[in-house]
Amino acid sequence: MRKPASVWIFIYGALAVMFVYNLLPFFWMVISSFKSEMEATLFPATLLPDVFTTEAYEKMWLQEGFLLYFKNSLIVSLSTAVLSSLVGIFAGYGFSRFRFRGRLTLMTLFLATQMIPGVLLVGPYFKMLTIFNMYDTLSGLILAQTSITLPFSVWMIKGYMDTVPIEIDQAAEVDGASRLQTMFLCIVPLVLPGLVATMIFAFLLSWGDLLWALCLISDPNKQTMTLGVTQLVGQFRVFWSEIMAATVIASVIPATLYLLLQRYLVQGFTEAAVKE
Amino acid sequence: MRDNYKGYLFILPAFLMLVLILGFPAVAAVLQSFNLMWVSKPAFTVGAYQALAQDPEFLRSLLNTVLFVTVVVSSHLAIGLGVALLLNMDIRFKWLWRVVAILPWTMPDVIGGLVWRFMFDTLPGIVNSLLLRTGLSTEPIDWLGRPDLAFAAVMLAESWRGYPYAMLILLAGLQAIPRQQYEAAELDGCSAFQKFLYVTMPNLKHMFIIALVLDTIWESRLFGMVYSMTGGGPGYSTQILTLLSYKQYFQFFNISYGAAMAVVLATVLFFISLPYLRMSMRQRI
Amino acid sequence: MSDKFIKGLSRAAAAVSFGCVLAAGVAPAAAADVTITYSDWQLAQDIWGKSLKEAFAEFEKQNPGIKVATEPVALAQRDVKFTTAIRAGAGPDVFALDMNPVKQYIAEGWVKDLTPFIEKEGGKKFLDDFYARSTGPLTEAGKTYGVPKNIVAMVLVYNEAMFKEAGIQKVPETWDDFRAAMKTLTKSTKAGGPVDQWGWTIVAAKAGFDLRFSVILRGFGGDFLTPDGKKSALDSPAAKEAFKYVVDMIQNDKTMPPGVAQVDANGARRMLANKQIAVKIGTTWSLPEVSGMNPALDGWKVLKMAHIPQKTVDGSSVRSTLYQKSLFMNPNTKNPEAAWKLIKFMTEAKQMQRWFDDNNMLSARKSVNETYKPIAESPFAVTVAKEIDRAAFLPLTPKWPEILETFRVNLQDAIAKSKSPEEALANAHNQVNAILARP
Repeated sequence: MRKPASVWIFIYGALAVMFVYNLLPFFWMVISSFKSEMEATLFPATLLPDVFTTEAYEKMWLQEGFLLYFKNSLIVSLSTAVLSSLVGIFAGYGFSRFRFRGRLTLMTLFLATQMIPGVLLVGPYFKMLTIFNMYDTLSGLILAQTSITLPFSVWMIKGYMDTVPIEIDQAAEVDGASRLQTMFLCIVPLVLPGLVATMIFAFLLSWGDLLWALCLISDPNKQTMTLGVTQLVGQFRVFWSEIMAATVIASVIPATLYLLLQRYLVQGFTEAAVKE
Repeated sequence: MRDNYKGYLFILPAFLMLVLILGFPAVAAVLQSFNLMWVSKPAFTVGAYQALAQDPEFLRSLLNTVLFVTVVVSSHLAIGLGVALLLNMDIRFKWLWRVVAILPWTMPDVIGGLVWRFMFDTLPGIVNSLLLRTGLSTEPIDWLGRPDLAFAAVMLAESWRGYPYAMLILLAGLQAIPRQQYEAAELDGCSAFQKFLYVTMPNLKHMFIIALVLDTIWESRLFGMVYSMTGGGPGYSTQILTLLSYKQYFQFFNISYGAAMAVVLATVLFFISLPYLRMSMRQRI
Repeated sequence: MSDKFIKGLSRAAAAVSFGCVLAAGVAPAAAADVTITYSDWQLAQDIWGKSLKEAFAEFEKQNPGIKVATEPVALAQRDVKFTTAIRAGAGPDVFALDMNPVKQYIAEGWVKDLTPFIEKEGGKKFLDDFYARSTGPLTEAGKTYGVPKNIVAMVLVYNEAMFKEAGIQKVPETWDDFRAAMKTLTKSTKAGGPVDQWGWTIVAAKAGFDLRFSVILRGFGGDFLTPDGKKSALDSPAAKEAFKYVVDMIQNDKTMPPGVAQVDANGARRMLANKQIAVKIGTTWSLPEVSGMNPALDGWKVLKMAHIPQKTVDGSSVRSTLYQKSLFMNPNTKNPEAAWKLIKFMTEAKQMQRWFDDNNMLSARKSVNETYKPIAESPFAVTVAKEIDRAAFLPLTPKWPEILETFRVNLQDAIAKSKSPEEALANAHNQVNAILARP
């Protein structure tokens, strides 16, 4: 189908607007992070750094323990993603392949748990961790974040598994495979892209969390990235150039991850969403 | 199949986990809001809820939350639909546009809040810098210091950060529309706008509801963006329920009060999500 | 840590396969040494942090077997972090607080009673060298909960060169003169450009709000609470005048840079260092801090101090606010003896001298202020020491942190024009009374 040139101009114009709108904050973040501490406080602000310097990064990386926060965030987000996908594979398979009494109700129950706001849970959860001596531990935080990501993971994984024809299970059963073998050896490899999408989604959710880390972690050596960055604000002697350097560091992993795996994420989203 | 009972075993780990780390705290929070659990002197009372009804700060936050969610979700759907339509066309460098389109969403909301806060900073921020340089304004505007502007700024920031989520869902819906329907519409002599109205929109309705409900839930639960951008200020002007509940619980130690706020929020969210849940029960998702 | 983790996890989610989470277990530290964790919002500051770290190195040398681990914390988030951790049975072993939350910590049992340790050091003899005004608020029913370190009073810190350049010969002593001077100082430094120099700024963000607004209130003769601490005193004419004065200067005079609501103590310092403002409310610490931010300013030479203006200058009434930093022990500490050693070391006369040398801070020990020569010779120390007699602590009630925050939010409402100053102040008055009336 052919469109007149004016339509194309409009389309690319709109895309350009989106381009600027989406990237302006990134631009400002990156630009400011390369300014000197002094320059980032000037009024009116310079649009490009007069003096290009990496001192803000050096300070964040070396002095403020961001290497540690980075590591903590990686541990927490990876564990959350793996844990919720692993448990999610079982539940997803269960929902996708078995027709048991109460299946729909249970599925809806899983869905409904997504509606529970974190602020409702975090207070009592804080108390629970205190009782179990798990306050201020990364494992306590991982379990908390799994509570957020697990319902999503179950639903997404179930969606991908639904796209795999049931005949494959039947064939495996004829060959004498147990249900567990069928699941891990036949179904999981087939839904791998979807699984990756699920894991990225869980990873991003966990990486971006502030509320839980804020309430469950106190030891600075166990702070996650987002918590570390917010703790900088209002701290004496930390200024915008440094905060922006910290935000760059904190956004690099999720953005890169997305860039590398965006094909899977989009494909996964599409598959899960299109079923009706 | 005959071994359907095994389904329960597969579900069991996830079910137990959710009961322990989600169900139990949720029940505990409800009990706390009635002053029954983990409080200094347990005794049933609805005092927290009565106080809520008379607390201007709570009512203001409730109103803020409703306004915030309404505006932000509408903008997400509007921008999301626009961008999804663009990305669904035969454009060049599709992958590049798609990457750019989704990038804001990869930024954690706390981080986004900080970046936007600095952009709107009165003296060294880029917004005022651009306004002054282009002569659109002669003096710096106190974006985050004026209630109306601060609220608008926070909504703008969250519109920016959150729309790709709605966009992805809508894009998925667009891609699922059979080409034949468009072709048939063309044969009937429909204009582009008519095609949009009579083919695209009806087909998209289902995804639209999903995006609407999910996004409403996400935005109602939002915490980090406002926490880092304004902290609820100036005054109470950008205070939303999640932030207020957190403050009551962890800053002022009004345990049952903070819990009661969260229970109110959860109840509202439950009713909002009812259509979605009903769709699930009818196996439509 | 590893054991605890596995036990906890198996209790919480026995049915879950958790191999992946194992990565989260951090290897346990070698147990030979005792490690004391110390938390202080000033750790994050280059200058203050440096002298703290030097002091710890010295302490570790003197006390083999004890290591000090530092935990910086942002001032605005300090109390949420400490109290959350302490309530959960964790938190730093030793921590520093200003006076704001002290009564609350004592009332809630969030600080350990230090009386037994002090008794061992000689009891009254140990405490006698500290000013009574310093130890008094740390004592409740005969028990002492903290050891004071530094005490100062708030004054005006101004850039003398900017004053001269604007033709202001005399530092204003009354609020009327002050207001006029601020108008003179607010202008554009480039002909025809936008205003880029302002008179002063207050601090309306959380970190540092307490010390900066209260002196204006007191300079007008008002206060937050009635003398018995049981009722709000924000309905007094003086309070109304002070409140309106500040709001007027922001909204009408515009002698403060726009964006006051976001300015915290550090932001104000930065503006003074950048010569965006000429005056701020500060004290001895402002000099090393502001000078360090912009060496080109030559802060030690250019910055001067003066007392807080008053409505009409008199010779005796309270016109400033006291700031005191004290050290406390966490009731959850597993090594109280070692923690006490650290507290004692940090509040010794020798460390107090270091604190003056590095940070220009006056001591809570009489002997140090009276006999240490550099203090006697410093004009800044002399000015501030004189103001200490004209200053008082902020209200000493367990409810104070919540009252302060409530008041601040209402002031922000007025600054932001959400409410009229009268309405906002009346609102604050009612809310403060409601907080005080709660059991």
